[in-house]
Formats: sequence, structure tokens, C-alpha cells
Amino acid sequence: MLIAACGLVYELVASALASYLLGDSVTQFSTVIGTYLCAMGVGSWLSRHLGRGLVARFVAVELLVALVGGWSAAVLFLAFAYTGAFRLVLYVLVGVIGVLVGLEIPLLMRILRDRYTFKDVVANVLTFDYLGALGASILFPILLVPHLGLVRSALLFGLINAGVALWSTLLFRRHLGAPRLLVGACATVLCVLAVGIAGANRITNLVEENLYADDVILATSSKYQRIVLTAWKNDLRLFLNSHLQFSSRDEYRYHEALVHPGLAATPWARRVLILGGGDGLAAREVLRYPTVESVTLVDLDPVMTRLFATHPLLSTLNGGSLASPRLHIVNADAFVWLDGDPDFFDFIIVDFPDPSSYNLGKLYTTAFYRLAAKHLSRNGLLVVQSTSPLFARRSYWCIERTIAEAGLRTYPYHVYVPSFGEWGFVLAGTRAYAPPTELPGDLRFLTPVTVAQLFDFPADMRPVAVQPNHLNNQVLVRYYEQEWNEINR
Amino acid sequence: MTISRREFVRTGVGLIGLSCKTERPIGGRFVDGSFELGHRLRDRSPFPAPESTVRIPLVIVGGGMAGLSAAWWLDGAGFRDFVVLELEPRAGGNARWGENDITPYPWAAHYVPVPGKRATLVRRLFTELGVLHSDGSWDERFLCADPSERLFVHGEWQDGLEPVVGLTQRDRDEFRRFAAKMSEWRATGRFTIPMALGAESSALDRLSMDDWLAHQGFSSPALRWYVGYACRDDYGATLHDTSAWAGIHYFASRDDEERGPLTWPEGNGWIVRRLLEKLGRYVRTNAFVHRIERSGTRWRVYTPRVAYVADAVVFAAPTFLAPYLIAGAPDPGFVYSPWVTANLTLERWPAERGIPPAWDNVIYNSPALGYVVATHQSLRTAIDRTVWTFYWALADGSPTANREALLQRDWRFWKEAILTDIERAHPDIRRCVSRVDILRLGHAMVRPTVGFLAARERLRRMTSPERLFFANSDLSGLSLFEEAQYRGVTAAERALAVVTRP
Repeated sequence: MLIAACGLVYELVASALASYLLGDSVTQFSTVIGTYLCAMGVGSWLSRHLGRGLVARFVAVELLVALVGGWSAAVLFLAFAYTGAFRLVLYVLVGVIGVLVGLEIPLLMRILRDRYTFKDVVANVLTFDYLGALGASILFPILLVPHLGLVRSALLFGLINAGVALWSTLLFRRHLGAPRLLVGACATVLCVLAVGIAGANRITNLVEENLYADDVILATSSKYQRIVLTAWKNDLRLFLNSHLQFSSRDEYRYHEALVHPGLAATPWARRVLILGGGDGLAAREVLRYPTVESVTLVDLDPVMTRLFATHPLLSTLNGGSLASPRLHIVNADAFVWLDGDPDFFDFIIVDFPDPSSYNLGKLYTTAFYRLAAKHLSRNGLLVVQSTSPLFARRSYWCIERTIAEAGLRTYPYHVYVPSFGEWGFVLAGTRAYAPPTELPGDLRFLTPVTVAQLFDFPADMRPVAVQPNHLNNQVLVRYYEQEWNEINR
Repeated sequence: MTISRREFVRTGVGLIGLSCKTERPIGGRFVDGSFELGHRLRDRSPFPAPESTVRIPLVIVGGGMAGLSAAWWLDGAGFRDFVVLELEPRAGGNARWGENDITPYPWAAHYVPVPGKRATLVRRLFTELGVLHSDGSWDERFLCADPSERLFVHGEWQDGLEPVVGLTQRDRDEFRRFAAKMSEWRATGRFTIPMALGAESSALDRLSMDDWLAHQGFSSPALRWYVGYACRDDYGATLHDTSAWAGIHYFASRDDEERGPLTWPEGNGWIVRRLLEKLGRYVRTNAFVHRIERSGTRWRVYTPRVAYVADAVVFAAPTFLAPYLIAGAPDPGFVYSPWVTANLTLERWPAERGIPPAWDNVIYNSPALGYVVATHQSLRTAIDRTVWTFYWALADGSPTANREALLQRDWRFWKEAILTDIERAHPDIRRCVSRVDILRLGHAMVRPTVGFLAARERLRRMTSPERLFFANSDLSGLSLFEEAQYRGVTAAERALAVVTRP
């Protein structure tokens, strides 16, 4: 019965893992079960070639099942994270376990043949086989997966298999040629599996880390998000909730394009507001202007701003902008803060995460831009990071349309950032705008000629017909979800 | 095999090493209104003689939406010699609200549909309150934020309250045919808000909504649930206990001009709050009116401490109280629905999958009406704690028996009933909730039962007391903000015509 239960559990583990990692559970369960049953058939057929020393072979088969099956979940996770051949590993593993499990029952029946009549053997073995399967199929979703997780569940059942092997060895030790050797093998397998159970968390962590291609040099969770920093050679990457925020190799393209087309065209700007941008990189660009007297940076997450103010690598990257005496950090929810703040600003930078949820979508509504416009001084300008006009064309033009709907004149532009692809921004204000002819001296990307070119949209990024985004009708979130789903598929 | 990818992801929580949290102890209590005082009226208990007498031209009895609307209209007309007498410690009536360290929240009425062009009084008030701008646009912050509604049906949340998951072709045909019928009724212009401008007793008034659906050949369970939900939500009554006139009125009285409704964290309490900023000086709270009697050509209105001598009275309290207070007042014979509402404090959000939390969240085939999220209109992007207002109209069974049950059963019973209902959609709700505060409303709203319009007309023909003007929305048979406002203002206009201006 235990054996049957173990056999079914490996099958379930493989199916569940495959559907978890690959999606489409119907296909995964169907193909895994098919492969498994077929391999069991092969195993049963192969059992005819095993002649002498049945008990020893049975123990050996059990130990192999224990090892392969027990480690199957861990191996599959690692295969998914580290190799491209997950499916191959999956079906090979399922096949091997299937063959071994297929061997078990015929062997067992033959061992018991000498002790009971044939009809009793068949009746007993098969009864317990099917009952065991029922037990496992109930335990698996109710107890095992919720409380142990897949990796541990598989290892636990490996332990049970190995236990059966040990117990068989002891039971039949008088019929065995080298019982000590088998007991030793059993003990070794048990140890290997026990170590696995103890280290299961490490294994899953290893998998998670490997989902990021590079070394994780910092991983922390704030109240609002998971912050992960990775490094590979001189490339520093920041991920918030697994979304890439910047790569240090090309972030200057993004941040120069975010700040200078607007700010360089507003030479009288004294007061600048940055909404979002807790990494201090936009602030770094703003602080290049000696005429800017004060920068207010509003970011929700104090963990982010503290990290970028104090971490040596990060504060080097942002040029220590967050420690500048001209800069003032406010950790608050931007919409609410803006609603309660009476100040005016000459230049406002809106650098929020993409509108991937209704909550974030609020920051891209007519209501938000109307409020932001109220905080613009006369002739002031506003710039909005607006996702990709290439990958999310309707989303981009929806943001542009929404800003226009809020009563501002819009000046859309875009830039190529290798780690992001084509990226879009919208400048807006109440006045006519012309790209600046002069820029701060030490830029790495922008030149007066390039700036003017940013405002030209090639045919595949030109405006499309879209609705504006309102608080009570967030079309943008739906556009965005559709468009990025198409890309990620 | 039953484990799906979704369940796998959910159970995978164990895999990344987060341990299951144990259930937290759940606090809470009944936060009832002063129904003991009401029961003293019912039992005709004696009250002490008042300590003083105040002479005032006009008294408004009841500080709910009707009474406050009367006050709003009088104040706007430049008339200031009146008081509003409110039984509870705070004005508001069915628009009462509460507040904790997370957010304000409603206790009952929590939205106003975007008024059409003909709803001039509602538009005038909303213009004053800054909800309607001079350019004709509605302030975006007060329009219900997206997503507005979702329905938990067949184990999934779907967008919108009209069931779309698991419908047969026949169901869909019936939904289409029903919508077409409602458009026809809408086009007749007889289903108005306020109802007084269009309603007349007719064959529809003599038929229950249940019978009407059957006569029209509507038998789809999904459609019947949907229409039944509307009746329970607006009237606290089943299809059987709602007249066809009222059932159709729900669907045929409004044109959807703008994606609404208008709503606020504290529900219609926001309107009360704003009205009180201006009208608070007229309102006397804890002023329990226990008798109103003729005194020559005037009325004496008794509260435990003060007796008011007035030229006219606007009676904005529920009309069923009139026979207990006013000698000779007719008993309207209205039926009222008992309700339970609860505010649940959530320390964290339950696990979600599929459609994200909406403003109004309804569970298909639940006896209750679902919950509304008080923080939904918040401009914040990160909302970790929240308050849900749970609504439950006790529509099944007799109202009297249900009122009895309301009084008999303890807080623990209702808390369990509420959490068990929510658990259908949120199995982890008990791990999220820290408080369940419960309000029991014995007479929450009037029921537009079969024959309501005919009874109303008979009532109108009876001579009502001179210089006493009824103003409660129950006269409309529809417990709506617009009706309360219309009744309050109409009564105030008529009262103002008869008072002696000093």
C-alpha cells in the first residue's frame, strides 16, 4: 500500500510541477500520466528478465525509486531554473520512475507467490495497491502540498520508499546473500533524502535566485514591494516585484531622456518635484542644473530611498543625489500627498511604475493630471514616464490622451533604452514647447540634435485611437494588460 | 485530478517558507441605534413632563436625509426659525456613518446613482457640494472608481453583477429580452425619480414581480437571481414581496449617463456631513420626540426636556411612528424590511485571484447582499488595511419574525453568520478580520409590496392633520436618497407657506 501511495505521489508531483511551471494543467497532467502509465507497462514487461535474487532486486528497485522519486521535485525545479530542457528532464524522470514502479508490483507478487496461493497474492497485492493510490491522492492536495510543499513531499515519500526497502531487507535477511550491504545502501539513501528535507528551503531559494540571471547582491522586502538588486560585471540591475527598473549600463539614456528635454527647456526652473523615482537617478539629472534651488522627491517606500541614499554602489550610481542639501525626501503616497500640498513647481517629473493594476492606474487618470497641473507654476512643465509606445502602443497613447483630456498641451517623445526597448514619455504644460537647444555639458546620451529627434514617431509607434483613462473607467489598465500579455506570451 | 495551477500557486505559499498564520481573535459588538426608546413608544410608556417650553415657528421631526433636506431647503430660502429634532446622538438616519483609524465607513445608504437631467433638486445640492461642476461634469473622485462591481459565481469572481459565467443560450436570450422590456418601460416615462412625478396605481401594482416574471415567461434562474438581488438590495424584499411596479421601477427609472454611482468612503454619510457643516446649528440631537399634540392652532412637540410650540410640523421620521406620536394620525400600514449591516475591520486583504476587489462585491446565491469596500475611493496606491461594509436584508420570512430574531440572537450568532457567508468567496477571511461591528435595523426600509400604490392613494385621500406635513421617503415606497430629499423639500415648501414669519 505504501509503495502504491509513493508511486502515485511522484506522478502527482511531476504533474503539478509541470502545470505550475509550464501552465496548461490539462496538458501537463494528461501527458505526465500517460508517460507514467506507459513506463509502468515497460517496467512490468522488463520484470520478466529479472530472475534470481528477487528480494535483493526488489530492495534495489525500491531504493532507486526512493532516490529518483524523492529528488524528482527538487531536480525538476532546478532543471527549470538552470536548464532549457525542463520538458526533457520531466519526461525522462517520469519515465524512469514509471519503469521502476512498474517493476515493483510484479516483483512483489513473485516474492509472495511462494508464501500464499496465487489468487490470494493477486487479491492482496492489487487491493493494497489501489487503496494506497486512494490514500495518496487524498493526502496529496489536502495535507502534503499545503503543509510541506512539493519538494519536501517528494522527499518524504522517497524516505517511505527507502523505509520499505530497509524493512524488506530486515524481513527477508535470511534469504539474502549480502544483507549488510543492502542495509548499508538503505541507510545511505535514507540519509541522502533526510538531508534533502532539511535543505528543502535552500533548494527553493536557489531556484528563486536563479530566476534572476545574475548574482543577487541584495534582496529585501519593504511593506510595499520586494527589492532585488543584481550585479553582473559592471551591470547593476534593480528589480521591484521582479520588474526591471533599470540597468546601470543604460539607465542614463532613460533618465537623461526623462529629465532634460523638459528641464533644459525651462531655464527659469527653481523648484522641481519628482513623484516616484526613489532610486535618485532622476534627481541626479535634475541636480546638474545649478539654478534649481530645491528638489522635492516623493516616493512611497522609505526602504527604497534609504537604500539608495546609503548603499555604496547605489549612492555612487545616483551621484549621492539623495544626500544633496537641495533635495528633500517625502515618503508618501503621491496622489494623496499632492492633494494635500499647496506648493507650486516649475517642473514636475512623474516616474511611477507602469499601470499594471487598478491601484497604480489611479496615478494615470485625468483626476491625477488635473491635480498635478494645479501644482504647475505659470509656464511650468510636466513629464510623465508612459510605458513603451512600441510594445504597449495603445497604453502609451492612452496616457497621452488622458493628459490632453486634463487640459494640458502634450508633447510626446520616445527613446531607445537597450534593457527596456523603445520607451515613451509625454511632456505637458499650458504653453507652447520647443526642444532645448542647450543642454548641461556632461551628458552621456543627449545632444541638442538628438533631443529634437526624440519627438518624431516612426510609423509603427504613431498615435492610435484610444479612450482617456478616468478613475471611474480605467481603460488604461485593460489596454496595458492586453498589450503586455501579447508580448509575454 | 483536482489540483489546478491556481491552487498550486496558492498552496505554494508553503513552499516559499511562509507559515500559515493562525486565526486571530475577532472583536466587535452591536452598535445599535436607540431602539429601546422606540419600543417605549410602542408600549405607550409614560414620559416625564418637559422642563421648558420653546416657541418656534417650525419643527422638523427626524434628522435623517428627509429632515435635513427640509432644513437645507428652508435655509436656502432664507428661513431660519426652525429646529430639527433627532432621536439619536448623531443626525443621519439611514445615511449614518462611522469612522475608525483606517477610514470612515457607511452604516447603511452608501451611494447615489448619477442623477439625470430631470433630477433638479439632487443636481442643485450636488452643485452646492462641489460634486457637480459648473461645466456639467461630475467630480471624478466621487464617481465610483473602477472596478465598480464583481460577482462571485461558480467559484470565480466575474466582472459586473449580471451573471455571465455558466449561462446557457436560453439564459442569455432571457437577459436580452428582459433588457429590451426594461427599455420599453423606460421609454414610457412613467418610472420617474422622484416617483411622485410619474407613478400611478396600475395593473403592475396589483402583481408581484415574481408573478410578472412568470407571466412574461422569464424562468432563467440566473435572471431571476439578478432581478431578485435588485429587489433585495433596494427594497429588502423578495421577488414575491415586491410589486411588479417597484421591480420594474428599479430597472426602468434611470438612464445611465455617466459611469457611476456617486459614492464616498462614509457612503451617504458624506452628504450628511457636508449638510451638517451648514445646518448643524438647527439640529438638536438626543431629542426624542415622544408626543405631538394639537394646542389651539399650533402643535406641541414633546421631547423629554423641552416642549416645542410650533405653527407647523414637518414629520420626517418614518411614517409608521406617526400613530404612536400623534393622536388621530392614520396608520399607513406600510411593511418595513429588517436589515443587518456590519462593518468588518480587515488587517490585511484576503488572498485574491482573477478579478481584483471591486467597490461592490456580491456572492451569487447568498442570502446576504455582499460587501462594499470603504477604502475603494481612496487615492492611495498602497492600501494595506481596510473596512468592508456587509449588507444583509432579512428578506425571507415575515418581517415581524425576523425583527424578533434580530433581538433574540446575540452578536456571536450574527458574526458567525456573516463570516460564514463571506467564507464562500474568501476562505481565509477569519485570518484577515479583527473586528465585526454589527448594526441591527428593525425598520430599515419600506417595502413596495403588491398594492402599495393603491394604498398610498387611499392614504392621500384621508385628511392628514392640518399644518403637519409628512416627509419620509417611505411615502414613496422607495427607500432612496432622491425620494427622501424630494419629500423633505416638498414638505418644507408647504410648511413654509403656513408658518407665521416673525
